[in-house]
Amino acid sequence: MPRSNSLPVFVFTACACSTFSLHAQGSPFQTPGMPLVKQPVAGQGDGKADGQSAGQSTRFSSEFNPAISFALDGLLTHADFDGDEDGFELELRSGEIGINAWVDPRAWAYGIVVFAEDEVALEEGAVHFTGLGGHRVLRAGRFFVDFGKQMQAHEHELRTIERPAVLREYLGAELAGDGVQFDDWHSLGDETVLRYSIGVFHSLLGEVEEEAGSPFAVDSELKELDELGYTARLTAFTEVGDAGTLQLGASARLIPDFGFELDNGASAEGLDNSVLGLDLTYGWADETNTRRFTAGLEWLFDAGDNGAAVNDSGTPLDPSDDTIDTFDETVNGYYGYVDYAWNQQQSAGIQHSWLELPEPGEPTLSELDVYYTHNLSEFGRLRLGLTFVDAESGADGMIAALQYTNVIGAHGHGVNF
Amino acid sequence: MRLDRLLLRAAAFLLLALSAGASEKLRVVTTLPDLADIVRQVGGARVDVNALVKGTENQHAVVAKPSMLIALSRADVFVQIGLSLESSWVPGLLENARNPRIAPGKPGFVNGSDGWPALDVPASLSRQGGDLHPHGNPHFNLSPRAGRHLAARILAALVANDPAGRSEYEAAHARYALALDAAEARWAKAAERLRGVAVATYHQEFDYLARECGLVIVGTVELKPGIPPTPAHVIGLVDAMRVRGARLVLTGAWSNTRQVAQVAEQAQGRVVELPHAVTNAQGSDTWIGMMDQIHTKLLEALDSLPRGP
Ligand SMILES: [Zn+2]
Repeated sequence: MPRSNSLPVFVFTACACSTFSLHAQGSPFQTPGMPLVKQPVAGQGDGKADGQSAGQSTRFSSEFNPAISFALDGLLTHADFDGDEDGFELELRSGEIGINAWVDPRAWAYGIVVFAEDEVALEEGAVHFTGLGGHRVLRAGRFFVDFGKQMQAHEHELRTIERPAVLREYLGAELAGDGVQFDDWHSLGDETVLRYSIGVFHSLLGEVEEEAGSPFAVDSELKELDELGYTARLTAFTEVGDAGTLQLGASARLIPDFGFELDNGASAEGLDNSVLGLDLTYGWADETNTRRFTAGLEWLFDAGDNGAAVNDSGTPLDPSDDTIDTFDETVNGYYGYVDYAWNQQQSAGIQHSWLELPEPGEPTLSELDVYYTHNLSEFGRLRLGLTFVDAESGADGMIAALQYTNVIGAHGHGVNF
Repeated sequence: MRLDRLLLRAAAFLLLALSAGASEKLRVVTTLPDLADIVRQVGGARVDVNALVKGTENQHAVVAKPSMLIALSRADVFVQIGLSLESSWVPGLLENARNPRIAPGKPGFVNGSDGWPALDVPASLSRQGGDLHPHGNPHFNLSPRAGRHLAARILAALVANDPAGRSEYEAAHARYALALDAAEARWAKAAERLRGVAVATYHQEFDYLARECGLVIVGTVELKPGIPPTPAHVIGLVDAMRVRGARLVLTGAWSNTRQVAQVAEQAQGRVVELPHAVTNAQGSDTWIGMMDQIHTKLLEALDSLPRGP
């Protein structure tokens, strides 16, 4: 059976730095052969002390240091799939260091470095420019795309242990791009906000998780304007009665030009892909803001060239003359959920995701998630999740997971819409 | 109608609309309804004020709504409590509302806790001390002295943002100060009976109140602000209540949980749900009314306890 790959599986790119040093500001001691430079010793005191002693800010003062945060996401899972070995896995899924600060009166910047799967990568790094007046924001750099209600968040921030299956399959477990995004909002009356965003990115393919021998997605390094990736989102957020909110949205991710390649050099070029999504979210909170109910639905359509498989019709078992078959049937899928928090600490929910895979015959995949979340404090969280997988073209199974997430230091929740 | 006459009418209408705009009220948005009430008392007819949260809500964790964003984007003056009470939701709203009139540092941004001597300011910051009170106890809206402090802060802010209204604001402030004199005298009288009464609370939100009226807080049901209790902590609290004769557990509407009831039951006492902010309910719909109600409820609770041995 040919190994196939749907398009947008995201993999962390390795960066040259294999160790991450927290002490990047200078050496506190002198080694032989080093030029003698008289400097205050890093870490000697806080900015105030420096300021008092020297009367000036120095490069070791902390007044202008950015806010720092650190997030840990640990996972204990037990997977049990038909025909597969089952067993436990304990992993630190990710460790994340974030910094952010204003860089001038009209712009702030942030960076998020993630350690995951034994690699360190700059997952996001962007400047938000707010000097355009009104509510306009122009952001530039590397950041998560604005698509639907969940793609903007990092994995450890999700309501569930993993992103819903339909998002993972059509867009990727995480989808960041290097590019520019403009967004703005307007009020309609006193209780409705209309927001839109438009993004242009060098590439929105993500990286294909390279399964040996299967086609991987590529695009050119130098591009014409009509070969760049684009995102767009339009959403209305309004109030329903005294205690409810309702949000409607439409999102698009367009990749006008990309290709697939095989290790043997075979390629399929001039391909394009579009993913469109519609979302609907309802939220309710009681008058003490303690009991909260949330229900959401997001429907996606994946159109154009959305997958590829090896064609082994040449010499059997000889990969050197293999070619690529691409798939271009429009497929669709959804996820829907209801979450209920009955006090400050405890909440539970159920989520169902169903989708057609972009393979011949469009086999379906569905996942049912049941999860319980316990907030130990505002910054520590324990979650228990069960995922039941029903795959038409693969193994059925169940994954049980216990997740512990902790966020230390500065982090803001902002307004997520 | 001839065209020039039509144009004249349109111009007159426009002028009228513009002059109406110029005499528009000062738009004030506050976080707590307590602040909104005091703005109303001092600002009178010159201000149009609304509060972002209801008095029944957990003020530490508020869900942002579109109306909040819109109100902030249109406001001339924004008043918050500060001391990190609203830190989980106000900065995000202000950032998205991007209203230069109420940006921190501008005259339209008013931090109610400026100049207020906060209790329990941590000597060093660590989450060992819990999540929610990193700059000291922010619940000073429940101090009987808060009205006077906030009224002075709000008077200064209204004058700074609307100098033409100075004499009106000062006159209204003077009237409110008289009402506060009378109210503070009532609360001082109530305090004579409350002095020395031992109580427990769910959250550290009645500490300023206790300091002023002499209640002795023997412990909180929460382990630390924002950290729920462990079973051992509950046992320790109940012991402390028994030893020190504390039979009232004070709580707000947002924190009146089963655990609070359990603690009260085990300590052979009772739960007293007090307003923790101004609400829409009759009696507690002004700050002075709310403080009156708190004192009345405390005295009633005290009277309802069987006389101890
Ligand atoms: Zn508190």
